Amino acid sequence: MTTISAARQLTSRHHVADLQRRFPLVQVVALIVLYLIGAATVPGWTAHSTLMSMLVMAALLGLAGAGQTIVVLGGGIDFSVGAFITAGGVFITELPSVDHWPVWAAIVFALAVGALGGALNGVISDRFRIEPLVVTLGVGALLSGVLTGWVSGAVNGTPPSWTSSAVSVTAGTFGIPIPPIVSIWIVLAVVAGIVLARTRAGRSLYLNGTNPVAAKRALVRTRWTWTAGFIVSALLATFAGMLLAGDGGGNLGAGDPYLFQALTAVIVGGTMFGGRGDYWRTVLGALILTVVTYLLDAHNYSTGVQEIVYGLLIMIVVAMYGRERRIRDRV
Amino acid sequence: MTPALAPVLRFLRTRPYAFALVLAIVLLIANIIAQPAFANPSNWDETLAIFAPFAIAAFASTPAIMSGGGGIDISIGPLMTVIDMVIVADLLPHGLGSPWIVVPVCLAFGAGVGAINGTLVTVLRFQPVVATLCMNFILTGLATQIEGSSTPQGSTWWTNDLASSFGPIPGGLISIAVVLLIWFGLSRTAFLRNLYATGGDDAAAFSAGVDVTRVRILAYTTGGLFAGIGGLALMAVLKEGEASDATMYTLIALAAVALGGTAFNGKRGSLIGTLCGAACMYLITNVLSAARVPDTWSDAVYGGLLLVAVIFGAGLANATQARTA
Repeated sequence: MTTISAARQLTSRHHVADLQRRFPLVQVVALIVLYLIGAATVPGWTAHSTLMSMLVMAALLGLAGAGQTIVVLGGGIDFSVGAFITAGGVFITELPSVDHWPVWAAIVFALAVGALGGALNGVISDRFRIEPLVVTLGVGALLSGVLTGWVSGAVNGTPPSWTSSAVSVTAGTFGIPIPPIVSIWIVLAVVAGIVLARTRAGRSLYLNGTNPVAAKRALVRTRWTWTAGFIVSALLATFAGMLLAGDGGGNLGAGDPYLFQALTAVIVGGTMFGGRGDYWRTVLGALILTVVTYLLDAHNYSTGVQEIVYGLLIMIVVAMYGRERRIRDRV
Repeated sequence: MTPALAPVLRFLRTRPYAFALVLAIVLLIANIIAQPAFANPSNWDETLAIFAPFAIAAFASTPAIMSGGGGIDISIGPLMTVIDMVIVADLLPHGLGSPWIVVPVCLAFGAGVGAINGTLVTVLRFQPVVATLCMNFILTGLATQIEGSSTPQGSTWWTNDLASSFGPIPGGLISIAVVLLIWFGLSRTAFLRNLYATGGDDAAAFSAGVDVTRVRILAYTTGGLFAGIGGLALMAVLKEGEASDATMYTLIALAAVALGGTAFNGKRGSLIGTLCGAACMYLITNVLSAARVPDTWSDAVYGGLLLVAVIFGAGLANATQARTA
């Protein structure tokens, strides 16, 4: 009897773990519980304006984390996301209003810088086999340093007015009462979901992240896949930075907090290094982080406590299922 | 490869720190030419005191990287900042400024955080980046929490000496020497050899009977211990707690480690190389400020140097592999 019940217990545990691997059950439950706690303890929590301002924050976080998700799935990590967000914001703020560039030229220039920087990340880490962490840290510092030097320490000018209406909580999209940035985020999530799951590019990314050697044997263009991931990451971050400029993000260092927060959203959502996860989990992670931040804010906890909570959140999720193989299994 | 370059390359390959050493000497000469006051012994105390936190941050980052398996500790910068903050905001105002209290507290705190990092990486099998990222968050949060709304300030007689000199000996030299002595002591034990073995190939080291888990935990603990000393040196110079500079220290430390010939895959590395690398980073900033390059460009210089250093280091490593293959 005991053996049978033990076996049954084992299988049921196995089923939960299997379900968690396919579907971020714990995260969904956590999000719902956290939201309900907010509704029960914070006055005005369920108001339309609160919900929309949460969604705007989550959307900015989600846009910043989109590129990171792709890089992490490919087995890398991108520590230059913050610098690219800053670059997008600074270019869209400084170029049109101070240097009198047409807005489209400023956008094209910002995206070109993003693409170039992302390519630099990908090519250097691939060609010289250097940890992407170190390369992206260097490229990020180089970029934000050049920006700081270029504007001599402080950004002047004002961003175009459409950036602030894009992130405005009260604005709608084509008559629908949802802020434009949230609509953009939904579109991005759908596109990213389809590309990652249903296209050749997406499958190459997963394969390359899971096992680069096997990917190469399966005729995946591994170098191109790797580099393209970094380019897409930099482009998305630059784009997020341009929108962030409308939310007071057009200054130096504006992107820095987003680097770690976006990475936290990716990991808390359950995407792990090397081909485990998808963008929808990052969406979930961004929503969880936003609700946690609002909750802590409403209960008057300082930013210090918020950061400590972020750290603990990552620790819990990774301890749950993001762990490496035992060394004795690799001998 | 031109034949004339071959002996030079062989020399650099067998001594990965040689490049940083040569560069440091060249930069030292450039500094003295640019500002003759640099060579004046009366300025050495201050120069060494400012150099010490940079150098020790780089030392503290080295053991984790040398332990291999993607090992890295990105919580060193915040750890030093927290220790600085604890001394200035918690210990000094409560009359606990005696070195017999402050030094053990700093060392224990640093080593403790390092040991937690090591345990997360080995026992719980976190990716080193993720584990130390968590710690980075927690420590930054802690520093912000202690800092509060105002920047705490403070100093006491012996930290002032640490920022200038104890009699004829510069204080900065003492804190650097203590770290090097600890490392020298470790090099007399099996730990350092096991660390090299683990960094080179952890599976092989494990098969050969090395307790990889213990070696790695010890590596992170040693890094944390060094960060404790670094926090003291930082506090002595700054005389205040500033939570926002932590990321810069991480960046400079990693660049110094790379420049000093330590490979980020753990297969190569030395503390002497890191010292030379840190000297290069420090001297280059000095030369630039002497040449009236505005401060606002310093981040660009650090980032650029980090890239150049890792590409150069990787070039050397690949050349070695090509030869032995």
